[in-house]
Amino acid sequence: MSIECLPTICPYCSCGCGINLIVKDGRIIGQEPWKEHPINEGANCPKGKNAYQFLYSEDRLKTPLVRKNGQLQETSWDEALDLVASKFKEATPENFGFIASCRNSNEDAYVMQKFTRVVMGTNNIEYCGRLCHSPAAAALIPAMGSGAMQTSQPEIELADCIFLAGVNIRETFPMIARRVLRAKARGAKVIYTDPRKTTTARHLADIHLQLRSGTDAALINAMMSIILAEGLENKEFIASRTAGIDELRAFLAKVDLKQAEEITGVPLEKIKEAATTYAKAERGCILYDQGMSQHYVGTDNVRNHANLALLCGHAGKPGSGINSMRGQINGEGSGDMGCLCVFYPGFKRVGEDSAKLFEEAWGVSNLPTKPGITYIDMLYKCPYLYIVGGDPMMVVPDTNNVKKALEQANFIVVQDIFPTEISKLAHVVLPAATWVEREATHTWIDRRVQKINKVVDPPGEAKPDWQIICQLAERMGRKDKFNFTSSGEIFEEIRRCIPQYKGITYERLSKTVGGIHWPCPSEEHPGTPTMFLEKFNTPDGLGHFQVVEYKPPAEVPDEEYPYFLTTGRSIFHYHTGAMTRRTPKLNDEVSSSFVEVNPEDAAKVGVKDKDLVTLKTRRGSIEAQARVTDEVPSGLLFVPFHFADSCANVLTISALDPSAKCAETKVCAVKMEVKA
Amino acid sequence: MKGDMYIARSEDKEIVEKAECGGAVTSLLKFALESKRVDAVVGVKARDGNRYDGIPVLITDPKELIETAGSLHCASPNIARFLKEYLDGAFNSKIAVVAKPCDAKAIIELAKRNQIKLDNLLVIGLNCTGTLPSAKAKSLFKEEFGVDPADVVGEDIEGNELIISLKDGSEKKKNLAELEEKGYGRRENCRRCETNIPVMADIACGKWGTTDKDSTFIELCSEKGAEFFEAAIEDGAIKVEQPGENAIESRKKKDQAAVELAQKWQEKDFATLEEMSNDEKFSYWSEQFSHCIKCYGCRDACPICYCDVCFLEAERGFIPPGEVPPHMLFPMVRITHVMDSCVNCGQCQDACTMDIPISRLIFMLSKKIGAIFKHEPGMDVTALPPLRTVTDQELSQEGVEVTF
Repeated sequence: MSIECLPTICPYCSCGCGINLIVKDGRIIGQEPWKEHPINEGANCPKGKNAYQFLYSEDRLKTPLVRKNGQLQETSWDEALDLVASKFKEATPENFGFIASCRNSNEDAYVMQKFTRVVMGTNNIEYCGRLCHSPAAAALIPAMGSGAMQTSQPEIELADCIFLAGVNIRETFPMIARRVLRAKARGAKVIYTDPRKTTTARHLADIHLQLRSGTDAALINAMMSIILAEGLENKEFIASRTAGIDELRAFLAKVDLKQAEEITGVPLEKIKEAATTYAKAERGCILYDQGMSQHYVGTDNVRNHANLALLCGHAGKPGSGINSMRGQINGEGSGDMGCLCVFYPGFKRVGEDSAKLFEEAWGVSNLPTKPGITYIDMLYKCPYLYIVGGDPMMVVPDTNNVKKALEQANFIVVQDIFPTEISKLAHVVLPAATWVEREATHTWIDRRVQKINKVVDPPGEAKPDWQIICQLAERMGRKDKFNFTSSGEIFEEIRRCIPQYKGITYERLSKTVGGIHWPCPSEEHPGTPTMFLEKFNTPDGLGHFQVVEYKPPAEVPDEEYPYFLTTGRSIFHYHTGAMTRRTPKLNDEVSSSFVEVNPEDAAKVGVKDKDLVTLKTRRGSIEAQARVTDEVPSGLLFVPFHFADSCANVLTISALDPSAKCAETKVCAVKMEVKA
Repeated sequence: MKGDMYIARSEDKEIVEKAECGGAVTSLLKFALESKRVDAVVGVKARDGNRYDGIPVLITDPKELIETAGSLHCASPNIARFLKEYLDGAFNSKIAVVAKPCDAKAIIELAKRNQIKLDNLLVIGLNCTGTLPSAKAKSLFKEEFGVDPADVVGEDIEGNELIISLKDGSEKKKNLAELEEKGYGRRENCRRCETNIPVMADIACGKWGTTDKDSTFIELCSEKGAEFFEAAIEDGAIKVEQPGENAIESRKKKDQAAVELAQKWQEKDFATLEEMSNDEKFSYWSEQFSHCIKCYGCRDACPICYCDVCFLEAERGFIPPGEVPPHMLFPMVRITHVMDSCVNCGQCQDACTMDIPISRLIFMLSKKIGAIFKHEPGMDVTALPPLRTVTDQELSQEGVEVTF
């Protein structure tokens, strides 16, 4: 008789909630609350309550697979890795691309970018964070010096005005919705922008700005114009902590509020109410997510919200700021580790200087100095691809064209825990260990580094991601630089290379429930829950205004495709559904895809609730079951992206943000027909 | 015999040092294991010595019992659930379980529902006037007491005061009522709880009625408890004396005071709910439950909830799947299924992601039902719940027809 109660952190989103796993004879048999954990204090959202079941799904990848005669067949690690090494030796720095994951650990991510730079000699290293929060870096580094979340989760409760910008927080970050609810109990007002009347609109927001898709920049310009007109800007903050107000003021003087009302579809009274509420607050807090980012004007949207925050002095104090909400367990960490074609680890911009820095740090020469290719471009331009823990066949817009490109690839390696859509196109599939099957650190949404301990063994012959890469590097002649025998050794190297992590150690993490926030410059330093308290991380220490002109969406409805299409999430699922569709309690809630249709629109086309409909865009078509609901306004359809058999990105448009290179998955034009 | 009372002490020096009140409980557990009267002990220990991280433990080696010695006030693991869910409800092994009154009451309710085999359990009850929520307790110690939570080596609730002992040997105390006004202090359900002495267990152990720090007052509450305790005395596992009349009286008085305080909190907490008009109630609860995100935390945590395939699960087809907040039927069914038997353990409240005051509501309803049916949950395993014993005639009072 032996039972253990072992602490860990939920494997799903970026909140970083604690869980106790009940383990018997080396198998997880249940989970219980971990009440001491500061993020969730013993509560968990639906996914967090069903955290471990996916580990034991029958179809976990257990052995390496190599495609022979069109079929993936089981093989040994030796055969698989020898093949991969020999193929990659054919690749060049231009035609090789590595796509790391927001789900692999910091240790994994660090080794992946080091492999790409040292062994493959290229900066073509990216991760799926490119698709969602690249605008944060592109907009906020110039604006404030960093794209990371600025305050910490507990401190959100201190805010007296919370602006939920493009984030259906009750479904996507329930444990942060909990913070917003507590702030409300203390009198805070909640503003929410979303074309849909989601549960966040109905049950959390005080002011719902139900704007037309893709018109956020116009809305913010209108709000800022009103704030200046009423003299509600924070003059002292602007004078002492910002630069560029004159240019912004001159631009905003020309904003036509009536036109803004027409563009956004939001009544002027409401825009005024939101603007004055936010401006008059003591401590305004912007929480934003894909409703802002996933547009071809994503960077502009984030720039404008940063402008709003600086204008009202709502930055640089706890419970304030403009906060990008990374959604994955290592969305922050994999970026910190340098899995971006323009950044070496620690956000050192790719160039001669950073290359030299890391040549010294790693004891190598000839590190690549030119920025690499971004994620989506890699799929079209790199015939040699290494894809870890992600599914470009489900998360990148215009799936049909992505498929055509990938079918032309010379050699695709997919490393994952389950068979996925992309693994169907892979030449080699490698089985990875995940979550509590290995010791690792991750960095959660508020720069919070926590450690995951190994609790169970991985299935079959699956190995930790970093280990697989090291064994590959060895076969490619670079064992010397990939000599790691433990994740702890990798973390020590991370600490040496990345100043923000310098003071964090495995030992400190083991003793600190809730982890440590970077920047943490020394082992005595407690970590930094809120950034920019004294100054911003820009060269002059000031926050910078950036003028943003509104641009309409890349593709708007017309006669042939009369509706806006937007995509998003359900609380019960997680991204491509790889984990949640294999968790019965979650999958039972939403077991297949659906399309939200407004009752007026449904009546016009003869669609009834639960009818199967065909959705068609210029890119492709899918089928989904209709949900007739006023959650969507007339003229807008909504589809979740969790279902491979009804893949939302078959429909979406590959219009890319020029600075960030993320795509406009939130807006395009679609038509709908009842399926005969 | 059942009903006998003792003052008990351990003779084991190591245990006495670590223990809260002289180590009698730990020594009794040691005796239970060593004499093979039980296969295992279920207790609570501070994981890695962290007082704020109390976890349930299953112990088969008597040497490990020392880790469970000493009281942890900043921990409230779900002991009844642990037994039911992970130890087959004690159907296949004999277990001595250390239980606060709420744990013991939950065990009794589960036994009524055939989810725990009471015959296989030796329930060692501990007096309790409340525990503190572990994450918030650290803020409390930091903000109100001005100490580093890591320096706290002991907590005690004595009458109206919360007393903490620090590493350096000093003590600090504050008025508990004042702290609770500020939103600190005990868990909400603890404040409302009138059951401080676990007479529904096999033996009840605590400090009330003792005159020195190294002794425990024991009341034998069942024949099983009496037989066990008398064997322990004979074995020399513990040393006992008879409590004087003053001791017994003092214990009664302290309990009475705690009960009165609990009743005051009940009045206070329930007043806001009861004073609302029906329309206001409907509005209030509709709004509260609109925050629900269907995490099933309350259902999972509740000791009364035990159905293999719960009515609320999506696969049952009653609650429309995939919606948050879930249909109003979700909270209504949960409440009506458990409200006749709520033991006020507060585990549901700890689990609720959206701070919905469910433990307040369900306990309030439970008290009303208890008054009508003359039933107190968790006290007597032979007393079936009202939902089970209600007659057709009772159901059709007030002209309400209940048809199936």
